[in-house]
Amino acid sequence: MDSLVAQYSRPMHAEEGQTYEDQQELSQMTPELSLKFALPPVASSASWLRAMTDDYSNPNCPIKIAHGTTTLAFRFKGGIIVATDSRATAGNWIASQTVKKVIEINNCLLGTMAGGAADCQYWLAFLGMQCRLHELRHKRRISVAAASKILANLVYSYKGMGLSMGTMCAGVTPQEGPALYYIDSDGTRLAGNLFCVGSGQTFAYGVLDASYKYDLSDEEALELGRRSILAATHRDAYSGGFINLYHVKEDGWVKHGFSDTNPIFWKTKLEKGEFSNVTADLV
Amino acid sequence: MAALFSGAPPQGGPGYSFKQTPTMAPSGERQHGFYPYTDNGGSTLGISGADFTIMAGDTRSTSGYNINTRYAPKLFKIGGEGPDNKGARIVLSVVGFAADGDALKERLDTIVKMYKYQHGKPMSVSACAQRLSHVLYNKRFFPYYVHAILGGIDEDGKGALYSYDPVGSYEREQCRAAGAAASLIMPFLDNQVNFKNQYEPGSGTGHDLQAKVAQPLPRDTVESIVRDAFTSAVERHIEVGDGLQMMIITPNGVEETFTPLKRD
Amino acid sequence: MNHLPQAWGRPRDDVYGAYDNSHFQTNGPTTHTQSPIVTGTSVVAAKFKDGVVIAADNLASYGSLARFTDVKRLRKFNSLSVVGFGGDVSDMQYLDRLLNSLDIRENYSSTDPENALNAKNLHTYLAKVMYKRRSDFNPLWNHLLIAGLDGEGKPFLASADLLGTTFSSPTLATGFGAHLAQPIMRRVIPDEAAVAGVSKEDAIKLVKESMKVLFYRDARSMDQYSIAVITKEGVELKENEKLENQSWEFAERIRGYGTQVN
Repeated sequence: MDSLVAQYSRPMHAEEGQTYEDQQELSQMTPELSLKFALPPVASSASWLRAMTDDYSNPNCPIKIAHGTTTLAFRFKGGIIVATDSRATAGNWIASQTVKKVIEINNCLLGTMAGGAADCQYWLAFLGMQCRLHELRHKRRISVAAASKILANLVYSYKGMGLSMGTMCAGVTPQEGPALYYIDSDGTRLAGNLFCVGSGQTFAYGVLDASYKYDLSDEEALELGRRSILAATHRDAYSGGFINLYHVKEDGWVKHGFSDTNPIFWKTKLEKGEFSNVTADLV
Repeated sequence: MAALFSGAPPQGGPGYSFKQTPTMAPSGERQHGFYPYTDNGGSTLGISGADFTIMAGDTRSTSGYNINTRYAPKLFKIGGEGPDNKGARIVLSVVGFAADGDALKERLDTIVKMYKYQHGKPMSVSACAQRLSHVLYNKRFFPYYVHAILGGIDEDGKGALYSYDPVGSYEREQCRAAGAAASLIMPFLDNQVNFKNQYEPGSGTGHDLQAKVAQPLPRDTVESIVRDAFTSAVERHIEVGDGLQMMIITPNGVEETFTPLKRD
Repeated sequence: MNHLPQAWGRPRDDVYGAYDNSHFQTNGPTTHTQSPIVTGTSVVAAKFKDGVVIAADNLASYGSLARFTDVKRLRKFNSLSVVGFGGDVSDMQYLDRLLNSLDIRENYSSTDPENALNAKNLHTYLAKVMYKRRSDFNPLWNHLLIAGLDGEGKPFLASADLLGTTFSSPTLATGFGAHLAQPIMRRVIPDEAAVAGVSKEDAIKLVKESMKVLFYRDARSMDQYSIAVITKEGVELKENEKLENQSWEFAERIRGYGTQVN
């Protein structure tokens, strides 16, 4: 009854403009990484968001989000190799050739980025925060299994809202040894020895599967990761740029460069005689 | 990460960025009658140097083939004191939907000013950059239709430049062009700033050629690159023109310049 | 995640349902204003050295029907500024009530005329209202021009539309006027620097001329109009002006329409 009275005894325009809550929120500064998201005021926000952003179904969609990637990670006796390309595309436009697709969650956990760039950056940063809180609460490092499960549960709670990410969590802990998990925005979470994710995954799998074994030496493993990404950048138009290479060991990860594909390609061709489909003649 | 929209080259005929509403056959029930976005055209760019960052943007605002106004700034100082942002060291440029751009600018400006009140020191560019990413991502499901570039001076006194996609993925870069003419300007910047496809003279021929290594450019060179980029974009894109607003951020403050561009 | 490179990372039909183009539709049933019903056409305005001239005709159309012929579309606000409304008339009347209540509240809270809301403040307020409404997908279907003086007593003219987009220019026109009147006015006042050389009489003449051209060619316009001049002295609003010195001679030279083909 009170609400009915209120509805008719106040002028209609009393609600106009910013609400008190809106203004409070601005001045009090919401926490940096929050789970409060603005939603479009429509019945089906996921379908609305898709209409605005899905450039595959509709090349004329107004907002284009970055896609297209090759990322890989595999377990071997010396730890885990993580390798990615660095290209971001929006439609046919190469938005960037220098994207850092390996996200350093903390000094012993790595995440990879495929799908929506913002989704991966934000949620892996959020995961980093959760991992640190776990360390402070329990006085020991979080296991990779637990970390990946935090992420999987999080994205699963947003299922159907339009998130797009395919990520791998790699880390080495004393209790687990080298551990590798694949998590995607459908809510899938898989443990495994070897994953390739992204539009160039098929090309990377081809090279990786051919030479992969658990007993690789560190040098062999790094070279295999590099060579698999190179194959993908060569055959997948949506992959390219630089090869970003990491080695995860028990005492943390080591970065092995962010190197231009072009000289690596020519070195591989001219010195090793691979890629014979490409001519080396200049004229 | 980066220039993730409206920079795409024309696909299937002259695709200007304002051709936004797809005209395909409707599917399912029809529900919504209001399209909340528009594109106000224009282009922005930013280049960082050793101890400065230059941000630039044209001042034309369009809707369709109409020119709304010949002077609508796309560059905003962030932080500092009062409504004029006195003493600010951070500049935000936004291009896309101008109303979303203004809303974003005001939100970030409030955050940076509140930070100074609460922490007693101005916000660093890297902190501001990450915060902007989160502000954009908070609208992940109802995005700001903007492409933002943030410029400033980092804690080591070097020029810093960050570019964003509409939902907040970001990356620190040497240079970035955004907006309607991004696909015209960005390749030019790749060549002139990052020396892409340039080789050391006399380093040989064919596979012996040594790629020229990019290094920070001096300020006057960067300024002339910016001017050239815009005068060229004006010639080839209808949504770019009227005026060039430049903000040069140095450790001593922000210098602002305005140069007329062709108004046709 | 399948092996088709282009589809990778994009929403899948089996998870999100088929791509729905209907979100781009500009008609269809909902409870909000989705399209204007009774509408007003152009508002035109130009700055001059000591103020602003703004004009709009007195017609409210119902589709192609010239339905109401005495609707005043210029609204004075606290004797310092004028708002011109294009677009939906019911939303205009809503905004009118909103501005009334704002004015009453302002009069209670501050008695100092120095601190009264000027045109610039009013524009900021209205732009926020419009942007908030578009963000709620419940837009006020108007294009507003706000004319008056800013905090430093300089002429101020700016616009706000149903999406919350704002811009300012020495001359502005909404709707059809953006196509027809703007080029005429820009010839006289090309930029901000030119404003200083324009007298009140010049500006009035220019705006009246624009209204005349609009009446010639805009099928949703009429010859009765309101015109307001805002200066330091205050607002001089005339609501029942009639277009003078019309000449339809140009019509004689038009060929190619109707039954007469050459």
